Amino acid sequence: MAIITISRQDGSYGSEIAAKLSEKLGMRLILKDTVLNEWMREVTNDYQFRMLTESPKFYNNVMDCGLTYKEYIEGKLLSEAEKSPCVIVGMGSQIIFGGHPDALNIRIIASDSTRVERLRQKYGLGASEAERLMQQGDRRHRRYISVLYGADWNDVRHYDLVLNTDDLTVDMCVEIISEMAAMKDRIKTTGEAPASPEPGPAIKRGEIRFKHPAEEEFARILDMYGIEWQYEPRMFPVKWDAEGNVKMAIKPDFYLVKFDTYVEITTMDQKYVTTKNKKVRMLRELYPDININIVYKKDFHSLLKRFGSGGEDEIDEFNRSEKNTVQRRDDKEQGEGTGQADQ
Amino acid sequence: MKELGRQISEDYRDKHPILISVLKATMYFTADLTRELDIPVNIDFMSIGVYPGITKNTGVVRINKDLDLNITGRHVLLVEDIINTGLTMGYLVQNMEARKPASIKICTLLNNPSKRLVNIPLEYVGFEVPDVLLVGYGIDYNQEYRHLPYIAEFSEEEYLKADPVKR
Repeated sequence: MAIITISRQDGSYGSEIAAKLSEKLGMRLILKDTVLNEWMREVTNDYQFRMLTESPKFYNNVMDCGLTYKEYIEGKLLSEAEKSPCVIVGMGSQIIFGGHPDALNIRIIASDSTRVERLRQKYGLGASEAERLMQQGDRRHRRYISVLYGADWNDVRHYDLVLNTDDLTVDMCVEIISEMAAMKDRIKTTGEAPASPEPGPAIKRGEIRFKHPAEEEFARILDMYGIEWQYEPRMFPVKWDAEGNVKMAIKPDFYLVKFDTYVEITTMDQKYVTTKNKKVRMLRELYPDININIVYKKDFHSLLKRFGSGGEDEIDEFNRSEKNTVQRRDDKEQGEGTGQADQ
Repeated sequence: MKELGRQISEDYRDKHPILISVLKATMYFTADLTRELDIPVNIDFMSIGVYPGITKNTGVVRINKDLDLNITGRHVLLVEDIINTGLTMGYLVQNMEARKPASIKICTLLNNPSKRLVNIPLEYVGFEVPDVLLVGYGIDYNQEYRHLPYIAEFSEEEYLKADPVKR
């Protein structure tokens, strides 16, 4: 098994299980500490680093490389998982690796009373303090998954297996997960089907979280024309550093399956689209077989006008609230001496 | 027109294609193009409309006039006036494909590639055009100017300035 993700409640022994599992199976252990201290420290200043430790919302901010912190970490986790087998604890890994053919997504829980007792013993706290610590932890984990992935941390559908450690020891859990991983590997290598195959869950429109109202409007227009689309299905790295780490990438908004075309939407004023133009130009140079089209604000508004959808106001309002961020980002790009549009 | 007619005649010799003209803007183009063909063809018309929604969720693309002929197993040539985003053509191609023709190709009088969203192979293109409003030779602005015997660039600004009451 290449990847095991562990989502755990505080006081559930999830961290202990992850550590033992990684040791037993010889898989690399990746914790939030690994991500922050080994990966993010070198690409952030003190303020940014502190914000990453405190605010899930901050993960949606854009870094100098053009990726959000969230996208950067996702990219790192995916590439690390490709390099060597790993056990990943937290960081939304159950979502990032959800549906991944080589991943086993595990959830470790325990009853509140058990957890309070364990936290009390571990930190030498009184019962009420331990309970408060547990509730704070739950809120923090829940908020991270909710803010960044719009998902419910407690939704069991994110997991292949949920273990309640009220009556299971750490070693028993490690055995169960190891055995399950081995079974999954056997099925994969022998091509043997699971006993009762179930079709994979289809992605429903309602489950997609669009980053911008313009994207949702565009999806609606594609639906009207019966054109099958996927939302942000692929990221294209366009710039790397000397060590081969991705420094800039573009994730086009839509892929039109039948027409093998990617579409990137920009509803910002023309002067703010330099960065996108640059990325699209680089993508075209590096991936000449990929078709990508960019939709500018003017064209998008004329599309909306055609359908009388009235979405312009909503989109403009959204852009106004985003504008400062984008302007700052754009200024930075201008400072690097980037070229102007490829239209 | 002669060039397009000659090429289509060569490509479809012995194939007895159905030319499907997408109304209304293609009426003159279809009339002129088909008279340049020296092969037997069938001609049919189709019309689709985009209907703005009352709320933003209710807009629809609808077939106003469907084909009279059965295209199953036949070679289909879709005839368009201009291809901009390609959304309409994408819709039509998918709609036609569901009827299992032997082949589908596209012939357009004008092509505006700068607006393209949906990449569709265009087999026959009359002229590439820049991203401007055009009228005449069947192409309209708010249902006006279709009858002009030429294609002209249209200035919305001048039009509104000249007759602001009209809008």
